[in-house]
Amino acid sequence: MIPRLLILFAAQARFPAPEFESYTLPKMSLEELASDSVLWRVLVLCVFLAAGSFCFYKWRSRKAMLAYSFAGLAVFGFLFASCPCPVGMFQNVAQGIADGSYIPPGVLLLFALPLAASLFLGRIFCGGACPLGAIQELLHWKSVFVPRPLDRILRMAPVLLLLVFSVCAIFGIGFPLCYFEPYLPVFLLDFASPFAILSAVFLIAGLFVSRPFCRYVCPYGVLLRFFSYFSLLKPQITSHECVNCRLCEQGCPNGAVLPPENTGNANQHRAGSRRISMLVACIPFALAAGGLFGYLGAPVLSSFHRDVRLARELDAGIRSEAVEAFESTTTTREELRVRAVKLQNGVLLASTAAGVLFGAVVMAELIAEARRRKEEEIYTIDPSLCFCCGRCYAACPLERKEKHHEK
Amino acid sequence: MTRRDLLRLGFLAVILAPFAALFRKRTETGTGYFWQIDPDKCVQCGKCETECILPQSAVKCVHQYASCGYCLFCSGYYQDKRIEFNTAGENLRCPTDAITRTYVEDPYFEYKIDEEKCIGCGKCVKGCLSFGNGSLFLQVRRDLCKNCNECRIAKACPADAFVRVPADRPYIYRKPPEVKS
Repeated sequence: MIPRLLILFAAQARFPAPEFESYTLPKMSLEELASDSVLWRVLVLCVFLAAGSFCFYKWRSRKAMLAYSFAGLAVFGFLFASCPCPVGMFQNVAQGIADGSYIPPGVLLLFALPLAASLFLGRIFCGGACPLGAIQELLHWKSVFVPRPLDRILRMAPVLLLLVFSVCAIFGIGFPLCYFEPYLPVFLLDFASPFAILSAVFLIAGLFVSRPFCRYVCPYGVLLRFFSYFSLLKPQITSHECVNCRLCEQGCPNGAVLPPENTGNANQHRAGSRRISMLVACIPFALAAGGLFGYLGAPVLSSFHRDVRLARELDAGIRSEAVEAFESTTTTREELRVRAVKLQNGVLLASTAAGVLFGAVVMAELIAEARRRKEEEIYTIDPSLCFCCGRCYAACPLERKEKHHEK
Repeated sequence: MTRRDLLRLGFLAVILAPFAALFRKRTETGTGYFWQIDPDKCVQCGKCETECILPQSAVKCVHQYASCGYCLFCSGYYQDKRIEFNTAGENLRCPTDAITRTYVEDPYFEYKIDEEKCIGCGKCVKGCLSFGNGSLFLQVRRDLCKNCNECRIAKACPADAFVRVPADRPYIYRKPPEVKS
């Protein structure tokens, strides 16, 4: 602050500051920010994750989970006004790692904390500490089940988005997830902006399809899904024997409850192994197709970058505000062009790699789907798909009986 | 892969991360989380007023009194095509009457921004820069800004004037233009 003021007084202005007789300069009206509000969020998030896991694993109560969601929506959605939330932080971290800039510790903690928690507690973050998850949990009316094949196809969309958005963040194209975040207008109570249309679409879809954003859009959910697969605590429907009433399977709108696996016959096994060998043979083609897809998509991605767009406008002779602003700076056209070409090449490489990776993920998912599962006699929960809503606890008759006995 | 393997891998990454950070080059700009306008890059296009997600923009005009010339005929206060030098609305630049002018000493006047009224359009900033010292400039008010991770104004800014700043240095001050001799 002091050196800055010295510079101010040392440099002579066009109209030198007058020498007043009895007038002191008023203070500037800028207030300094008292503390780093991001670190506060990290602290509150810790409290929420602890409380949520207590509600879900100890109390095993649907009502407690609803209260948890409500608190999450109120605190992280409305009180803290949504941003910065852990869902978008992977973009900041990707950009920070790529361009070597400093990642603020608050940002890094917001990114890592839910992931670390999912390694021990499952997707307890999605259950209600995430304001986006909480609003979808609370504004869900009637469950319409997404057909299994469609669900499996749509489930690949978050993986694609994670890869595309990471490429965008790494090359400074922007943070598209945060730009188009569908619930932000709701949290800021601003329905006049054009982005409110997107929130209306997602809110109405969320009334019938459970958690449309979490399941079919959220790129951070891909990371959470991966980590919660290895979770220490896993949600379990009954601690005693299961009567196979199917009520939990019908009650779960997210398709996380898996029915018991029967042994099957030799024919089924043979068909399964033939399918897997077919899929393995298809892997090189899938990788090549993914790479081609990424290669063709790269020019579209890089055209959203500021420098590339500016270079294109300069070449086309368009007099836009950006061109006029550029001409008032000291950067030459040649420098800009060199920068734009370098960026386009980088995006081309990264996008092709992302395409290959996407092909690999799709094939891995297909093979995992075709594989023979472990034989079980009771209904189990897939921890990587469970959003910790507690509906199955409420639906299970054995669970209710047990609770009744406790009372 | 079992859970234990994953944890082992994770701990290895945590141990190696600080070493990777040592060999990384650090850039000067964009080293924080909060958005701010670099007044030296700003071209006063008026997008700050319209693009912010808040009903009334978090960008406000601020006055750096230390570099103000206290001019009698302030080019930030008066229109270029004014009819007379008086405080009638048609002569003034600010569309919302957010600048108050008070007499200090002959011939000096103090100009104060009323932030309740300011909409961040930047018209006065443009006026001040065109003839005066550039003591008026636009800043994102930390007490109003919602800290969107992807600032809508930053996305629309034609001059790339939005930068990220750390929490302990949340404002960027303008250097006054020097006399051309």
